[in-house]
Parts: sequence; C-alpha cells; structure tokens
Amino acid sequence: MTSTDCVLKAEDIHKSFGSVEVLKGISIEARKHDVISILGSSGSGKSTFLRCMNMLEPPTSGRISVHGEEILIKNGRPANPRQVERARRRLGMVFQQFNLWTHRTALENVMEGPVHVLRQPRAEARARAEAIMERVGLAERMHMYPSSLSGGQQQRVAIARALAMEPDAILFDEPTSALDPELVGEVLKVMQSLAAEGRTMIVVTHEMSFARNVSTEVVFMHQGKIAEQGPPKDMFGSPKTDVFQRFISDVR
Amino acid sequence: MEFLDILIVYWPKLLDGALMTMKLTLLGALIAGLLAPSLALFRLRAGAIAQFPFRLYVSFARGTPLLAQMFLIYYGSGQFRPYLQDIGAWQFFRDPFNCALLAFVLNSTAYQTEILRGGLMGVAHGEIEAAKAIGMTHLTALRRVTLPHAYRIAWPALGNEIILLMKASALASVVTVFDLMGQTRLIFSKTFDFSVYIWAAVIYLCLTASFVRIWDYLERRLSPHIHGKRRAALARGRVSA
Repeated sequence: MTSTDCVLKAEDIHKSFGSVEVLKGISIEARKHDVISILGSSGSGKSTFLRCMNMLEPPTSGRISVHGEEILIKNGRPANPRQVERARRRLGMVFQQFNLWTHRTALENVMEGPVHVLRQPRAEARARAEAIMERVGLAERMHMYPSSLSGGQQQRVAIARALAMEPDAILFDEPTSALDPELVGEVLKVMQSLAAEGRTMIVVTHEMSFARNVSTEVVFMHQGKIAEQGPPKDMFGSPKTDVFQRFISDVR
Repeated sequence: MEFLDILIVYWPKLLDGALMTMKLTLLGALIAGLLAPSLALFRLRAGAIAQFPFRLYVSFARGTPLLAQMFLIYYGSGQFRPYLQDIGAWQFFRDPFNCALLAFVLNSTAYQTEILRGGLMGVAHGEIEAAKAIGMTHLTALRRVTLPHAYRIAWPALGNEIILLMKASALASVVTVFDLMGQTRLIFSKTFDFSVYIWAAVIYLCLTASFVRIWDYLERRLSPHIHGKRRAALARGRVSA
C-alpha cells in the first residue's frame, strides 16, 4: 500500500480533561474507501477521539496526519491555525445535533462552505449544492429553514453540507442518536449510499446493523482504549474480548 | 388656536432642534456601535487582568449619571485647557457638541458592549463548531455565523439602548447644545408659552415611534428564519398574535 492511500492517520492519541484521561493511546488509520465504525459504550471516549481528528479537541499528545501531513500541535493547541483549517476542509463532519446554521436556508447551509471557505463562484456553488440536495432527497425542501425541517431532514442537510466541500473523508459523530426512531432509516440510507460509492468514512455510532453490514472495519473502544478491532464479520462472528461480547449482547 | 400659534412661528427652530437631536443620537449610537463588537469580543476572550481597566470603565459609564459624565468632559476639559491646547485637542473640546457627543459615545459604548456580549454568549455553540469543522477561518466564522446570531439576539436590547440615548440626548441642552430640548427652552424663555414643551414632547414621541418602526422592520429583515416561521404559525392559527 502506498502512503497516498492513507487519508487519515491517528497515532497514539491521548486526551485528558484536567486530571481525567479520556483517551489512553489510540491509533487508527483510514485508507481510501474505508468505512470505519467506532463502537463503544458511552464514556468510552469515542466521540472525543473523533473530535480529536479534526482538532475540535486538540489531543494532549499523539499525532494526527491528513494525507501524510502531520498537524502540528504546540502546548496542547494547534501550532498553525491555517494548517488546521486546511485539514478541516478535507475532512467533513456530521454532528449528533446536526448543528445547521439556523439563520440560513438548507440550500444556503450547503453553499456556505464552497462559497465562503473554498471561494467558489456563487452560481457554480449553487448549482452543485442543488444537485447535492437532490441526491440526499431534499430538492423540494432546499429553501426551507432548518427549524422547519424534521430531524432526519436536518441531518441529511448536514450530510449535504459536508459533501459540498468534496472532502477526502467524512467524520460522523453519532449521526442518528438524536433522531426519532422512525427517522433513523432515511439518514442511514444516505450514509449507506455514500459508503457504496467508495467514500472514506469514520462513523461513531450505536447502529449495529450499519457497523455490521456497511463498514469495512469495526473499532471497539473501552475505557479510552481500543479493546478490539477488525473486519465486521470477524468481530461480530467471533468476538475475542469479553467486553465486546458483553457490549453486543447488551445492545441487542 | 393659541395652541398652534407657537408651532406656526417657531417650527423652523424646533425642526433645527429635532435634527440636532437626531444627529447627536444617531452619530453617538453609530460610533458606539462600531466600537462595541471588538470590545464585546475582548470582554469574552481576554484574561481577567487585561479586562480590569475596561471593566472599570464600564462600571463608571453605567454607574454614574450621564449628566455628570457630560459635565466632567465639558467643564473638566476647561481645567486642562493649556495642556489640551498643547496637544491640539482644544479645538475639539471647546465645541459643546463634541463634548456631548463624546459623553454619549463613552456611555453608549459601555452599554452596547455589554448587550452584545450577552448576544455573543447566547449563540449556539454547535453552530460555531460547525463553522470551525468546515474549515472557516476565525474571522469568517465570526462574520458568517457568530456575529449574525449575536446581533439577532441583541437586537431588541440594542434598540432599547438607542431609544434611551435619544431621550438622554436632551441633557446636551444643559451644555448649550441647541438640540430639540435646547431650542424648546430657548423658545420658552422668549415667549413663556408652556405649550412649546408639549410640542417638544410630541416631536420626541414621533422620533422614538418612527425609530421603533424602523428597528422592528430591520429585526424582521434580519431574522426571516424566526419571523417567517411565526407568520406561518400565525396563519395556521397555532400562535396567538
């Protein structure tokens, strides 16, 4: 495998909040077309780890590299804000609570990054944003404000917003956890279609069926460490650790 | 028709005064409004020690009467005339309009800064995080997400502050600025006709009422995502007007 295949690499990530060490040395590597599901009970540090990868929480120690370029950290903060901004443009992020910009319509949310971050011409960005809205099934609702959309629709707008940046990888932070049960499906369907077209995705989730059927690799975190990791078939077929065994039987 | 007589004779003077009142208020509010955003950010982000002098200023500006502040600037500057002449600032301080304006700016900046600080604190953290995550620079995130929300939250309180400033601008008449109040007092001292005060009150009322209309209009323009929804809800009969 050549190094260009590696989109995102985290090495020995530690993160402490005060005296509490939440992440105790985590390493993963996402190559092109990987869909990595990160599982774990709440408090295992999986969301924190995801947020470390785009420096929303700068790690206390360890290295994050995007396409082989290491993001430099000094005194617990990114050394160069420009470098972090560049890295974030290549990493989309979808949040548990959607975090759409409520003062802009759905379409404006999707256009915002291309126009004001990538400096694309407005008309071009608009045409592309409309196409992406169509793709997530919201062509009819693109002129609505987020507050008029259901949770599932808002999350699909959030995915469209990430897609509009044409990222090399997308980070999903429990994208279906804030949704009513009947709305989970529509979001998962979009995510599944992204996986099918070969997008690189790292997904923190509680959706076992997604982890089992869609992802190429499953990472199980327990108490700030990776307890078990491997292809979903092996992981779910024959769990090697007690904690993961217990986790999957509890979730079922 | 005695009541109207004074208006017929003196309306140009009253108009002059009203224009001066508007000039003082709007200029004062505008300069303070230009200073407020960076000061509000400073209040939120800077360390406690760096903030100390600024907090001292805010508590002085909000905790003492505007009239006292104006006297301090107008009469106080006279005490330092030789020094102010040396540094070439006397030209500025010998004009009572400038002194009043300076007092208004200092006073309103303190209020507007604190109002906007409250607005900034009310911005949903997740939206700022989304701006960061998409790769916006700090400045772009401020311009596109944080400040638009902060201003929407602060808008009604800012309008209130400007109305209070407009009414407080009557104090400028005490340091010989011929604003609406100054002109009114001048007319009264010539005619001893009390009704001129009533006309002044009517004009003040018209000024503030039109300001409120404009401010409300701007608020609706600024927040289509809130008001559009409210209109829709009203149409469906879900929210009582």
